Parts: sequence; C-alpha cells; structure tokens
Amino acid sequence: MKNVDLHHGAASDVGLVRKVNEDSFLVAPPVFVVADGMGGHSGGDVASQMVVEEFQRLAESYDPTRGAEQVADTFARAQARIIDFGNAHRAMTPGWHAGTTAVVAVLVDDNGVAKWLLANLGDSRIYRITDGSLEQISVDHSVVQELIDSGEITAEEAATHPERHVITRALGSPEGIHPDFFLLPLGSVERLLLCSDGVTGMIEDKEIEEILETVADPRDAADRLVRAAVAAGGRDNATAVVVDVVGLVKDASYDSQRQLESLESKLGGRL
Amino acid sequence: MSTDARFAPGDWYAVVGDHVTVVLPGSQRDRVAALWDLADAGATADAVLDALLAGGLSTLDHVALVAHGDDSTRLIVRGAPTATVATTEGEEIVSASAGAAWAERLVTGVTSVRVTLAGDGDVEHALTAGIARVSVVEFGTPPAAPAAPAEEPAAPVMAVEPDPEPEPEPEPEPEPTPESVPEAPMSFGEPEDDPTPTGETPVVEAPGADDWPDRDGNTVAGPPARDFDRPPIPGQEMAPEVVSDPVASLVFSTGDVVLVDRAVLVGRAPEARRFASHDQPHVVTVSSPQQEISSTHLEIRPGAGADHGSAIATDLGSTNGTVLAQPGLDPEELKAGIAVSLIPGAVLDLGDGVTIQVTNP
Repeated sequence: MKNVDLHHGAASDVGLVRKVNEDSFLVAPPVFVVADGMGGHSGGDVASQMVVEEFQRLAESYDPTRGAEQVADTFARAQARIIDFGNAHRAMTPGWHAGTTAVVAVLVDDNGVAKWLLANLGDSRIYRITDGSLEQISVDHSVVQELIDSGEITAEEAATHPERHVITRALGSPEGIHPDFFLLPLGSVERLLLCSDGVTGMIEDKEIEEILETVADPRDAADRLVRAAVAAGGRDNATAVVVDVVGLVKDASYDSQRQLESLESKLGGRL
Repeated sequence: MSTDARFAPGDWYAVVGDHVTVVLPGSQRDRVAALWDLADAGATADAVLDALLAGGLSTLDHVALVAHGDDSTRLIVRGAPTATVATTEGEEIVSASAGAAWAERLVTGVTSVRVTLAGDGDVEHALTAGIARVSVVEFGTPPAAPAAPAEEPAAPVMAVEPDPEPEPEPEPEPEPTPESVPEAPMSFGEPEDDPTPTGETPVVEAPGADDWPDRDGNTVAGPPARDFDRPPIPGQEMAPEVVSDPVASLVFSTGDVVLVDRAVLVGRAPEARRFASHDQPHVVTVSSPQQEISSTHLEIRPGAGADHGSAIATDLGSTNGTVLAQPGLDPEELKAGIAVSLIPGAVLDLGDGVTIQVTNP
C-alpha cells in the first residue's frame, strides 16, 4: 500500500450543561476514533477513554492488511475492559453502569489498494463529503433509527422523539457488541467526519455540510463544528475529528513536506 | 474537605466558582454579574476579593467569601453573614465583631462550612458552579447530615435573572448576632459516601429497572441489540452471511477470479456497507472508462431457501443496468433490487466491456 497523505484536525468541548466531558477521541493516523461515554459517576469518561487507549495500542502495531480483523479484536478488548470495570464497580454500587459509543476510521490495504474501513457502535456518526455534498455513512444503532427504518416515524420526527437518545448497541453492553463495518474506496471520500451526538444533535446536517465545504483546514473545520454545536446550546459534550485525504503519494517525505507547507501558510511565512 | 455544596433557597446571591464562593445580599446584583465572570474563569480568592472591593468597602455592607485551597479553607465574613466551621479539632463560629471591617480565618482540616445568611433552611439543594439565590450555604460533609442524595437537584443558574420586584434590603443590622446562629448539629467522622463524586446531577434509577437503564440523562443504552440486521432486499430471503463451500466461481473479463462464499460487490468503486467483521464482502473493482458501470453496481451472494446452493445476483440500482444471459435463454435485463438465481454458464454484462462468467467452483 502506498503512503496516503492525511491531514486531520480534532476538537472537543464539554458544552454548556455537562460538568464532565465524557467524549474521548484518538488521532493516530491511520487510526481515528470518537467515543461518547455514558454512565455518569465518572463511568462514561473512563469507558470512552478505554476505547481510545485500546485503539492507541492498535495504532502502535497496526497491520493495514488485517484491518477489519484488528479493529474487531480491538473492540473486543475494549469491551472486556469496560465490562470488567463495570463489574468491579457493581460489586460496590449495585446498578452502576458504564458504556460508550464508538466510531472508528482506519486505512486498510485491500489487495494493495488503500481503502477506508469504518466501524460504528451506537449513535456517534461518520459522515463523508463526496462530490461536494455531505452523506451520513454510519447508521445509528438507536431506537429512533429502527423506527425510521420500519417507516413508523420520519427523520424529522426522530429529532424530537422522546426516545431519541436511547441507543441499541454500545461498548459495555452486557449483550455483547455487534459493530457495523463499512468499506469505502479512498477516492469516494474527499473529507471524513467522525463526531459525537453532541454535534449532530445541536446543529443541522446542512450546517455541518456548509462548514466542511467551506473551511479548508481540517483543524479549523473540526474547531468550527464544535464551536457551532456549543453556540447552538451545547447541551451535550461535542467532539469532531475531520480527516482529509490529500492525495496518493509515493513516499513519506512528501507528507512531511506538505505538513510543513500547510503550517507555513497558516503562520504566514517560512519556518 | 470535599467541596460538594448544598444550599437552602433565599434572597441572597451565591456566586459559585471552582475555587471561590461569594455570597452577597440581593441588592448587590451589579457586583454579582462581575464576580461571576471572574469565578467562572477560575479566579483565585485574591482576585475575587480585589473585584469585590473595587467598588469601595462602604457600599459592601454584607459579604461572605469561602475559598477552598489544597489543604486549607479561607473565610471572610462582613456584616450579617455568619459562618460555622467544623474541623477535625472542633467547631468555630466566625462573624465580624462590631467595628471590625471583617472577620477572616484561614482554617486547615475543615470538614464542613455552613454560611448562614437568613433563617435556618434545610440545605437540600445541590449547589454547583453558577449563581444561586440562597439563604444558607453549606460546603463539605457534616457527618450528621443524611446520606440520601438531594431529591430535587437544582440546575445551576447560569445567568442572573432579572428581579420582577425590588429586592428587600437585608436586615439593617450591622451588628453581628452570633447568638442567633442556629446550632447546626455537628459530629465528626468519616466523610459520607457521596453518591455523585463528580458533582453532576444524580441519576435517580427506578428500583427494579432492567439491567441496562437510563444513566447520565441524555444518551442511554436501550434494549438488547438484535442480531445483525442487514436490511433485506425485497423479495429475497435473508442469506447466510458466509458459507463454507463456495457456491460458484466468478470469472471476470478482466482476469479476476472470485469465489462466491459470501457477498461479492462489483463496481467502478464499490462500497460495502453494514457488514460484520466476520462477513466482510469481497469487493471487486472494475475499470469503466466510459463510466457505464456504477460505483457499486452489482451484488452476487450465496442464495438461501429455494436458491440454496447457487449464487444469486442483484443489480443494486445501477445507472445503466446489468444484462444476464443464462444458458439456453434470451438475455434479460436485471431489475434493480430483484435477485436472480444464476446457473453455471451464465454471463453477466455490466457495460464497458466488463462481463462476469459464472462457473462451478
């Protein structure tokens, strides 16, 4: 697999209502993760951090030719840790729970061709920009998504449905985990967004598209998305990771050269 | 000392920051607004005191300030407020004596602080960062207090609410009246088990709720996950995801040979969606200089039910369609979304010169 030039940015904010940011994210190219912890009582932030730690370990020894297998194994390890963590606390505090969503993007080598392998558990989301428009790739594991799929409610009704925050799959679930995977050609993704529902629950897809379309630097784009979510009320922790595939390149030096040029252009002069 | 705090509602303002809490009479709204900016930004006690005194001491009849340090607690009381400080050593009542500007204490080993402004209400509301209207404020854990969490946790008031009517001036009695301080029941021991160590709104869980209930008030986990639920193609039974024996072999005009032991997706830039890690589809990319082939054009997978043992092909709504020529039959155009069983010798034509021949594995 040739080296792929990725530019990326990430931002996270506790919002205006919560006291604790239970979101965690990982930017360790070619591994990107956003996790939205649930549980309170310092359970959710630990659960989401556990997912990020396990994917950090994956990134350190990642084999792109075994992407799906390694991502599935990483999910399983994170699940085991969160379950252990929950059991340990439940021994002291009956009824105690911790869980987390996760959206993951990794580059994989599919017979010599680089592709995006995406994975989803819960209601954090993966979007892409392709041909200048925003498309949601992941399908929420939520009660309202099931109602939409079965035709009982519309997407508009889902935004105000009383059960809109109830998710049907998560890490930490005693039922086990069943992540959805997606495999996309690199060329079909101009820009990738991983975000928690603190972003998508506060601002419309149209605004997300507008920001991703108009803000060139992925760091600024991630920042703008999170700030827009906070400005819209910030009712939940908001986290966004934006990744651009800049182009297929032949060697690693090109990547560092591009990063340097990008930095120079931001700082307005040569370094 | 734990910095968990509770309050009883009243007319006084409590400005609660991470390190410093200032209590002012209802008439001091202007100061309250300025102090909140400071307190919210994590200002130190000195910085807050600076701002308090910026308007002059004469206009500041009554104030109480509680600052939590790493191992000590700083208290300043002027005017009417009185503070009851419980430490591991004992209990002390702090109030400004007549003629003094204020009373100040730096106390270590504090287990709880109770600031009484008016009356002796029950401190049953959680006091979190923000601004609250209070009559009594209590920090830390008086061991005699009940362990039950506040039944009705108050959301922090994030903005100063306009007063509908003029505030009653606090009792015009600059003389401190320590005798009137109610005796808070105090004893010393282990801190109570705090149900909300992070200070967030306690979750009230219904007894007997299921094993995976509501939690932090927003995102919650729901009913058990169903089995992997690939949206079925209309008119087609759910196929097994992966079969141990391939049902067919696909020979592409490009030279590729692919076994059908799971879903095979063919297109110019095919995308596979919503699969599980154990049934990742084969993805076959074919070039289409004329763009006649759609990005994800055709799916071929092992059949189920009546089609068990053979491969079935489904056009995935491609722009230019797929033509199927089965041996001995006229070529037919596949209908989008309708699966057709393939027999050995069948040829699928995707356009742009790309064909797929179906053979036995």
